Amino acid sequence: MSPSLTAPVKYAGRAYLVEICLTMGLYVGAVAARPWLIAHAASPGLATGARVLPALPIWLTFAAIWRYYRRIDEFERLKFLLSIALAFAIGSCAIVTYAFLEDAGLPPLALTWAWPTLAVSWALTSALLSLDKHR
Amino acid sequence: MMNRLPALRGERGLTQADLADALNVSRQTVNAIETGRYDPSLPLAFAIARFFNRTIEEIFQAQA
Repeated sequence: MSPSLTAPVKYAGRAYLVEICLTMGLYVGAVAARPWLIAHAASPGLATGARVLPALPIWLTFAAIWRYYRRIDEFERLKFLLSIALAFAIGSCAIVTYAFLEDAGLPPLALTWAWPTLAVSWALTSALLSLDKHR
Repeated sequence: MMNRLPALRGERGLTQADLADALNVSRQTVNAIETGRYDPSLPLAFAIARFFNRTIEEIFQAQA
């Protein structure tokens, strides 16, 4: 799959950064607004909608990631997929390790911590692999 | 895979960024190909050959 011909590859990173910042801003805003929206919801249906609201920017983040993947070239895709694979492996190990530590008495964490754990491990693997970028 | 990209680029007075723009790839990709860290796919190898008006074999050689 070649990069999209409608967008030069050299602008892919910049566009990705803008889109990710937007989606993360929406996520943070939704998380912050969620308690108030739940408390002031006019109906149980709207309260449920308010509860699931932060999930929508996460889906937009996936869309931004997919758009970035479509824009970049083959070598950047290789590094991108490698960073995601490593992030998934590291993040999964961290989540499973903590799950077993909960049995040892550590406070239980909500499932909503899974996404930040994977995001942080992805940021770390991307940063490590990007050291290669500066050659 | 060895290649003559730096020499061919130099003949035309192109930077890695110039070549990257012409091929619609990132500068990091051009650098990775030139330093042997990455072997291009067939479509990209053909694009490079077309750009320099050479055959693929004139640009890329298997390492001994």
